[in-house]
Amino acid sequence: MLEVFNLAKEYPTPRGPLTVLSGICLSLKRGDAVVIMGPSGAGKSTLLYILGALEQPTAGTVALDGQNPFQLAEKELAAFRNQLIGFIFQDHCLLPQCSVLENVLIPTLVANDHAGYPVRARELLQQVGLTDRLDHRPAELSGGEKQRVALARALIRKPLLLLCDEPTGNLDQASADVVASLLLELHQRQETILVVVTHNAELASRFPVRYELSHANLHLAGA
Amino acid sequence: MRTSTLLARNLTWYWRTNLAVLLGVSTAVGVLGGALLVGDSVRSSLRDLVLGRLGNTDFVISRNGFFREELASVFGSACPMIAIDGVVAHEPSGRRALGIQVYGVDERFWKFQAEPGEPPRNQQTLLSAALERELGVKAGDAILIRVQKPSAIPLESLHGRKEDVGKTIRLTVTEAAFREFSLRPQQGDVRAVLVPLARLQKHLDQRGKVNTILLADGRASSGAIERTLKDRYTLEDLGLRLRTLEKQRCLSLETDSTLISDDLAGTAAATAKSLGLGTEPVLTYLANSIRVGGREIPYSVVTALGSPPAPAEAGGITLNQWAAQELRAKPGDAVSLDYYVWKSDGRLHTDSAQFRLAEVVPLKGAATDREFAPKYPGITESENLHDWDPPFPLDLSRVRPIDEQYWKQYRTTPKAFVPLARGQQLWGTRFGRLTSIRIFPPSEAYGNALRAALDPAKMGLTVFAVKARGLEAARGATDFGEYFIYFSFFLMVSALLLTGLFFKLGVEQRMREIGVLRALGFSIPQLRAIFLLEGAALAAPGAVVGMGAALAYGGFIMLGLRTWWIDAVGTRLLSLHASIASLAMGAAAGMVTGLGSIAWTLRGLQPVTPRGLLAGVERRKSERRPLLIGMIAAVMAVALLAAALARKLDQTAGFFGAGTLLLIAALCFESTWLNSRSLAPVGGQITLGLRSATYRPGRSILCIALIASATFLIVSLDAFRREGASTGTGGFPLMAESVLPLIHDPNTAIGRDALNIPPLEGVKFVPFRLRPGDDASCLNLYQPRNPRILAPPAAFLRSAQFQFQDSVARTANPWLLLESEPADPVIPAIADANSMTYALHLKLGEELVLDQTRFRIVAALQDSLFQGELLISEKNFLRLFPDVEGYRFFLLNVPPARAYELTGVLEAALADYGFQIQPTEARLAGFHKVENTYLSTFRSLGALGLVLGTVGLGAILLRNVLERRRELALLRAVGYLPQHLAAMVLAENVLLLLLGLTTGTVCALLAIAPAVSLRGGHLPVVSLSLLLVAVLVAGIAASLAATAAALRSPLLKALRAE
Repeated sequence: MLEVFNLAKEYPTPRGPLTVLSGICLSLKRGDAVVIMGPSGAGKSTLLYILGALEQPTAGTVALDGQNPFQLAEKELAAFRNQLIGFIFQDHCLLPQCSVLENVLIPTLVANDHAGYPVRARELLQQVGLTDRLDHRPAELSGGEKQRVALARALIRKPLLLLCDEPTGNLDQASADVVASLLLELHQRQETILVVVTHNAELASRFPVRYELSHANLHLAGA
Repeated sequence: MRTSTLLARNLTWYWRTNLAVLLGVSTAVGVLGGALLVGDSVRSSLRDLVLGRLGNTDFVISRNGFFREELASVFGSACPMIAIDGVVAHEPSGRRALGIQVYGVDERFWKFQAEPGEPPRNQQTLLSAALERELGVKAGDAILIRVQKPSAIPLESLHGRKEDVGKTIRLTVTEAAFREFSLRPQQGDVRAVLVPLARLQKHLDQRGKVNTILLADGRASSGAIERTLKDRYTLEDLGLRLRTLEKQRCLSLETDSTLISDDLAGTAAATAKSLGLGTEPVLTYLANSIRVGGREIPYSVVTALGSPPAPAEAGGITLNQWAAQELRAKPGDAVSLDYYVWKSDGRLHTDSAQFRLAEVVPLKGAATDREFAPKYPGITESENLHDWDPPFPLDLSRVRPIDEQYWKQYRTTPKAFVPLARGQQLWGTRFGRLTSIRIFPPSEAYGNALRAALDPAKMGLTVFAVKARGLEAARGATDFGEYFIYFSFFLMVSALLLTGLFFKLGVEQRMREIGVLRALGFSIPQLRAIFLLEGAALAAPGAVVGMGAALAYGGFIMLGLRTWWIDAVGTRLLSLHASIASLAMGAAAGMVTGLGSIAWTLRGLQPVTPRGLLAGVERRKSERRPLLIGMIAAVMAVALLAAALARKLDQTAGFFGAGTLLLIAALCFESTWLNSRSLAPVGGQITLGLRSATYRPGRSILCIALIASATFLIVSLDAFRREGASTGTGGFPLMAESVLPLIHDPNTAIGRDALNIPPLEGVKFVPFRLRPGDDASCLNLYQPRNPRILAPPAAFLRSAQFQFQDSVARTANPWLLLESEPADPVIPAIADANSMTYALHLKLGEELVLDQTRFRIVAALQDSLFQGELLISEKNFLRLFPDVEGYRFFLLNVPPARAYELTGVLEAALADYGFQIQPTEARLAGFHKVENTYLSTFRSLGALGLVLGTVGLGAILLRNVLERRRELALLRAVGYLPQHLAAMVLAENVLLLLLGLTTGTVCALLAIAPAVSLRGGHLPVVSLSLLLVAVLVAGIAASLAATAAALRSPLLKALRAE
């Protein structure tokens, strides 16, 4: 379960604190998939990074699988992220020096267990259609392919929560469709909690639950 | 996928950055390892010189006087020889060389040293290559060798021959080479001449005698050789004689010097006592006149005894019948004795003593004992009084026929006897207070018992482990490794800063990657570990490459020491000695410091959030901390300045500390300023460029710090150069040293006459006693184990000349501390501050032990011409070294305008003494040259560090510009021309350069203010300005190159990528 209660985030500025998020509450269970939309600067990415324990909230709590990551020490927090959270960024953020397979396996380098990851990585890459690109470098891939590698990397540790920040933002329509389909398919297959932040209405329309973030508050779209 | 795979990928992918890091580590290892190699190389070269020049010699037995050459035969592999100092003159050209080592050798030396060829024979002589070059000698040329003529009788005693101290030998140079030989550790050329032993013995009147034995036995200890020597020496080897006087039924212990020292007298008496024998100490002297009333007898032998016929009462005198008759004296008459006394001021005085005639004894029994008088050359062997040839003035017109008759009949039979204590009071000298000791009854056992009781070493026959001592001295007065680590310090710091900088640039380039890894669950320690592993993987090959660089750097420094910096070492005989230990140490230290610098860089990863990392955000440092540090440093600087101005602490140290603190404060304030981004509002390209300096304030401050530190170093070093006039001459324009000692006082007409010096108006000599030893100045690379010792006269101490740096007691004239009588038996000594610190490695008040005598440094002279020696009082000198006679060191007060002319006159007049004059300024300049050369070395290596700093600046500029390609592209898109962009970049970099140069210069000028003022306010403005302008130009060139590189890349493509 992902439980978010009364979440708030403010940034200090010379003219006083800037409230980006306020009173955000959210409850998602395994298999849920939601999309969060909203104008630029509304705080979508901030919310996503807070959910991913990459950024501290100003107030409120976040609990994933019953654990509040912000109460964890640095070492445990890193392990928490590694084990329970998968990330996909708009900019794929692949390591240019590593091959496709190696990029997928990067999170496993700091995993507590090391069993079967190369096999799983190959399976994931097969599932995203990149079996023949295992040894390629990111520079040799198209944008859609890079994002598919990022998807496989995000899922390698079988995370409970999969967070995507504009996963198709840099892709053409065809590639975006492929990535979106794969994302949803793999989410369903692995029963993750999927949270996607996007501007893309086309992508958003494929999600059963859609939220909109505006004026620091989160509302169900159309509600 | 394993961590190692990721590591391998990172290393190869970012190879450019990694190569720069690797080269940075290599440079650090190269500089550190190279500096250590320099230390090893200097030590090893000095060691090689010692071993090469000693050849097979492990030990030396030597004596101030001469001993039997047969003594050598009791040792296994031994070579007897004569080793003395002399003056060599090339007869055809008249060129002279002073302070030459003259060795009397024969085939035994050739065999001992396994020399090829033949030793010099008959009239032949061999010169060392350096001496041949110096004199321009070729085979067949005649040379004149002047050496001190050995005299068993002390020169500073009445019977010492003061005008005949030298002997000249004419020999012909033969064409043969010999391996350099020297018993003294010295890095300079060997200036030596080999002379046939037999010929030298003949000229010195020492047939069958030598003063040195070389021993080859590497496994023996000094103790074992001393034991053999003690078992096998004879009394003759110590200049002692034990005669049996049949008529007197006693033994007579006498010495070649005619005087028996108190120590010897004590041992002789104790030995006799241990055998149940009696002793009678004897002191015989020559009276110029014995007078009673108006009558007198000239030139009479007088003996002081502790028993009859000498009277018992202190003021009494006994005359023999002949004398009493001649003087018409009767008991109770007043008798006066006139006699010569040679005093330590170099003058012959006539003193007089009054007695009361106690008894007249007939000429029989003890009163006719002519053996009371020792053998005085020129007197005792003469057939009549008119044949006397004593070393003091004699008025033969006073000699009457009746005196001749007495001489013919009684020879040296004393005409008068005085009590021993009175005689010793009148005629005792530092050389002894007896002329013989009689042992009653004659015992055959006495000779052996005395031999066993005497310690040859205490009697001057000493064993030196010359090879072991030489090797010990070869460890050097100066640890060049340590010096070159200091000299290379800035270069090393630059290399390490660059290592850290390149690594930082690499890390910054990969901030997004780090963000991804953190998002994927990598903890900060794990990321640090990966980067550190990467650093280690770079440092290891960097260290390997660095070892090669160390060899190159070490070789370069050694080349420098043999060529450009030869003034610091004074020899071209230094070569690179590669030591695995130093290379490994340099590699390990370089790796550790390189990794340390990388670890320091990685500190910055922590506070940036993963999101920040993903967004490429760099953490901005708090403005408070540097501000706080800056304020603390500034306050401390002001406090130090105040303390220095109030003379609460040494001004130079105070100002230097204040300058350094001020530099730190300035850099902290600049860091605060750059971090606050409070530069002027953007109003044009230039201000836009200036604003860019705040883009990466950390990088900007690093550039400023590098340049400021280098500038500080270079400016402050220049202030320590010593040039021009100095107080270190004590106001004496000339100084001189002689090979042979001068016994007479050249300040008196009689002394000048004896020395053959013409009357010279306005010339005043200050003669110093000199005990030869190791040069303790910076001109000697070997560690001075036994420094030269000088003793100025008491009047000089009172004249309070020369400036002192410090003394153990607050006193207006620290020279007088030499005459203090400390409670413990420690000799007060004065040393030059530089020699004390850098050659003797002592501090004020610390002690130095030489031959079991403790010396305490009571004052330190400031930059004086006495850098090569220790100074003690004349009184202590005469007590410690009674055998060292005369004066060999002189300060000359002459009218400066006539210094050159007088130098020629005096050197010519005293040529026989090997008298060499040197302007005191030249002597000081010689020392300053060494100091200045060290500073030049430091500056050169500092400048190399500055070059590295400039490379770093270029790298930072390029990185900044490349990172801002999109910004630059945008500016191009909105109409900026390339030159506008260049102006912007240039403005930023000129700002950094000027801040660095100004900060460094201002702080350094403050630091060196007292040093500059002490040296006469001289600052090398032109050379400094040129250097600083060169740095500015190099920096501008680097920034232009960086801009050009950035502009060459497709900017608009970068813009589209946005």
